[in-house]
Amino acid sequence: MSYNLNEILAERSTKTVYRDGDKTIKLFVEDYAKSNILNEALNQARVEEIEGLNIPSLAEVTKIGNRWALVSNHIEGTTLEEAMQANPEKEDEYLNLFVDIQLDILSKSAPLLTRIKDKFKRKITHTTEISDDTKYELLQRLEGMKNHAKLCHGDFNPSNIILANDGKHYILDWSHVTQGNASADVARTFLLFSIQGKNELADKYLKLFSQKSGIEIKYIQRWIPIVAATQLTKGIKEEKDFLLKWVNVAEYQ
Amino acid sequence: MPNRKNIDTLEDLESGLKITKDAQKIFSTYTQEQVDKIFRAVALAANNLRIPLAKMAVEETGMGVIEDKVIKNHFASEYIYNKYKDEKTCGVIAQDEVYGIKKIAEPIGVIAAVIPTTNPTSTTIFKILLSLKTRNGIIISPHPRAKKSTIETARKLLEVAVQAGAPENIISWIDTPSLELTTYLMQNADTILATGGPGMVKSAYSSGKPALGVGAGNTPAIIDETANIKLAVNSIIHSKTFDNGMICASEQSVIVLDKIYDTVKTEFATRGCYFLNPEETEKVRKTIIVNGALNAKIVGQKAHTIANLSGIEVPEHTKILIGEVESVELSEEFAHEKLSPVLAMYRAKTFEEAVEKANQLILDGGLGHTSSIYINPVEKDKLELFEKTMKTCRVLINTPSSQGGIGDLYNFKLEPSLTLGCGSWGGNSVSENVGVKHLINIKTVAERRENMLWFRAPEKVYIKQGCLPVALDELKHVLDKKRVFIVTDTFLYENGYTKVVTDKLDELGIIHQTFFNVAPDPTLACAKEGAKLMSEFKPDCIIALGGGSAMDAGKIMWVLYEHPEVDFMDIAMRFVDIRKRIYTFPKMGTKAYFIAVPTSAGTGSEVTPFAVITDETTGTKYPLADYELMPNMAIVDCNLMLNAPKGLTSASGIDAVTHAIEAYASMLATDYTDALAIQSLKVIFEYLPRAYNNGASDVEAREKMANAATMAGMAFANAFLGVCHSMAHKLGAFHHLPHGIANALLINEVIKFNADETPTKMGTFPQYDHPHTLNRYAQVADSLGFGGKTDTEKLENLIKKIDELKEQIGIKKTIKEYGIDEKAFLDSLDAMTEQAFDDQCTGANPRYPLLSEIKEMYLNAYYGGKK
Repeated sequence: MSYNLNEILAERSTKTVYRDGDKTIKLFVEDYAKSNILNEALNQARVEEIEGLNIPSLAEVTKIGNRWALVSNHIEGTTLEEAMQANPEKEDEYLNLFVDIQLDILSKSAPLLTRIKDKFKRKITHTTEISDDTKYELLQRLEGMKNHAKLCHGDFNPSNIILANDGKHYILDWSHVTQGNASADVARTFLLFSIQGKNELADKYLKLFSQKSGIEIKYIQRWIPIVAATQLTKGIKEEKDFLLKWVNVAEYQ
Repeated sequence: MPNRKNIDTLEDLESGLKITKDAQKIFSTYTQEQVDKIFRAVALAANNLRIPLAKMAVEETGMGVIEDKVIKNHFASEYIYNKYKDEKTCGVIAQDEVYGIKKIAEPIGVIAAVIPTTNPTSTTIFKILLSLKTRNGIIISPHPRAKKSTIETARKLLEVAVQAGAPENIISWIDTPSLELTTYLMQNADTILATGGPGMVKSAYSSGKPALGVGAGNTPAIIDETANIKLAVNSIIHSKTFDNGMICASEQSVIVLDKIYDTVKTEFATRGCYFLNPEETEKVRKTIIVNGALNAKIVGQKAHTIANLSGIEVPEHTKILIGEVESVELSEEFAHEKLSPVLAMYRAKTFEEAVEKANQLILDGGLGHTSSIYINPVEKDKLELFEKTMKTCRVLINTPSSQGGIGDLYNFKLEPSLTLGCGSWGGNSVSENVGVKHLINIKTVAERRENMLWFRAPEKVYIKQGCLPVALDELKHVLDKKRVFIVTDTFLYENGYTKVVTDKLDELGIIHQTFFNVAPDPTLACAKEGAKLMSEFKPDCIIALGGGSAMDAGKIMWVLYEHPEVDFMDIAMRFVDIRKRIYTFPKMGTKAYFIAVPTSAGTGSEVTPFAVITDETTGTKYPLADYELMPNMAIVDCNLMLNAPKGLTSASGIDAVTHAIEAYASMLATDYTDALAIQSLKVIFEYLPRAYNNGASDVEAREKMANAATMAGMAFANAFLGVCHSMAHKLGAFHHLPHGIANALLINEVIKFNADETPTKMGTFPQYDHPHTLNRYAQVADSLGFGGKTDTEKLENLIKKIDELKEQIGIKKTIKEYGIDEKAFLDSLDAMTEQAFDDQCTGANPRYPLLSEIKEMYLNAYYGGKK
């Protein structure tokens, strides 16, 4: 099947996202590992099978020229991020919805997904961005974390939620989905807000999540250096100093 | 080390672990002398290395203070040596031959020792010394940031240990530390000695191996208004600056009472501490803690360095940066553990508020670790509140907590240690300072011992026809009694049985009162009634005159009179061993002397520590037992028994037979009780039929029976009874059979049951070494001359003779023959069975009965043999 790739929705270093009618086409760069792409497709398929979550369904895994592409059904609407920017006075209301959606995801399980601790361990072990000393500390911290099996989106931020025209909300981009400790996923979201410089929103989010979930902030915070280290592996230069500061912490003794 | 191969990979570690395990096997055979020699040599060497190792640690990690690390190294070698030099850690460490108990110390094996960056050399010295003293091997997992100094310490100490005779490779280490290797080590060592933060400790505990781990501290220090302020402030400075605040017991917050706040502040400032203004406080706040975690850059740094990192200027020799803050919640960065010379200071209006703040700080992140207070020690109430509130395993008073927590520096009974247990609050398996005892397995060798037994009887037992008034003379002339309360039953009272007593008392000029309302199967209500009268009359002597009912009722009244405060249900509580019962029976005899005078030959109550009483509201019979219930005096005068009717003579006489037989078969039987039981049986078999047939005309038979019953009483007062009485108690209660008759109907079933050489379960008592009750019954038959060649024949003869005796004194053969309705009997069977099983008398029975077995015996006794 051929797609019309005229309308670009987003551009990233590894992929470009297009829209063609009722389809979204995620086209990866040529040297992007096939295994990653097929894994993302598989992840998305697994999440689709979970009842009670609104996500765009995967329509096709295909090749366009020499490049792999994932084709999903397009959801018409605005992202929660856009909505928040457009209506700053409704920030609390949107944040509330945002946390509720995250709690809903975390209440699900998908036993065949990768475990978050395994993924983090792999990432931290292989990164060259941090010293061996710090790796040792972080891996030890990670080792001591509780193994849960909650569905963790892995990149949960307002730009990945669509407020659809049909009144429902849809959750996009399941490429980082894992199963594991909810606090790790929350720490990731906190980090994503903070990287964008939205410190107040980040704090507000953390408090609200803690309040609604009953999970103490200090438990969530224990994941922050770990999550920051995994974020470092993305190699985004502008984030490096900021993340290193978050990573370079000592264990209490 | 010529024979050592570096451990860099998992394969290296696998083989290294095996090598150290093999070395430890050899080490485990060493004697205490060999071990102590090695222990001393290594302690000496570590002591000598204190300065180079301290320098190395500071240089490598960039944290801490050389001079303070020298103290830590010195402490880890000298104090640990001094503490354990004479401690037995090999082989037999304690023995008590009399009690047959021995404790043998054995090594655990190979210890995985995880070493932190904060105290790399001293912790390594400490753990190596403990391992050597306990004959364990040790493999050290250094922190990558401190691996050079950690490994150097281990290497040097290994050299010395081997020179002193230790097996090669008894100490080893990971040369290239990684979490993978640490994890493998923890999973494959025999135990883990982990020192580090919560992550480390958690992974140690989740390794599947036993672990001694410690965790984070967040020590608060209260300065009370009664404290010696100079001592308090300077102790805190001394402690907080020690190794730049890297000891986990170090003060993190100081909570100062309002009244002395300014004085304390001035003292801190005078001694070189720097108070941050609000703006500076904010800067330091954001520097020391990042997202609730400790900024690694400030750990173990000087105050001046931390100030620089925070972008503020303080004098170079500033000792501590102090932030005056209010919140004790984790949202306040200063409320965290800081591992650096940064201190939070709080103001508290009241002592209670100070304790509450300290408590919150402990809950925030120091659960189980250490808390500290400065106070005048005479303030007991405040101290009690503090001690009670703090969930910390060390509570230090007027002591710098860094130096104080590790022990033996400011208190000489707190064990010196560099691994401080935090108890379950901190997720630890130990709550004390870790020492050698945590690294040995102690085998307890326990040899079988027999229980001490006893023989107890009333202090005075008077016997012989006509002795009653003579014995009573003592009341005036020896015992100086003034007021006597007599307990008896209506029949005896109305028929003048008490007259001989009251006449004598009148003659002696002793005031007396008689309670004659005791009915058969006396009730608690009756006992209470009597006790009420006693409390009004206030006797200094009680005479219970009658059969078992009057004597038992008298005993209970005696208890209620002397101890109106007791809860009857407590004293009625069933027990396994009279010496170990939960309830301590109240001391008797402080108000009244108790005299028992039997009027029938059988119950034995005049010489026993037992009394049976019925709760009239429920119908439950409670057998009470305690030597406090033993009468002070028994007067056995057959004049009171001459006219006993036939039914009473036979029922009480056969009761005495079962007393003697059960006491003889009891697991608690002794030579003393055996003699009494046998003699009693001899007399009864000869004289009971005569007493039964001849009545008052045969004084000799009456007197013999009187003595036999009392002797049987003495036997079972000490050896106790068995399941025959358990069953008889319930049969009597459910179907209103006289107690002696109920026993008579069951005794043969019980004898057969107990004689089984392959019982389902035997009784539990050290003296009872194998099922030998058949032989015991044979001994009875022999003593009574019943004949028989084998034990089995003798048993049969004994049973036959009992049957004959029963027949001679008019006792029927089965329960059924006593007119107990079959349906009523069967309906009550399960309840009787269960209650009999749980009766106090079951405990001494040589065969432990199953419920089904009791039930079967009941059925056999009902129908007369197997149905």
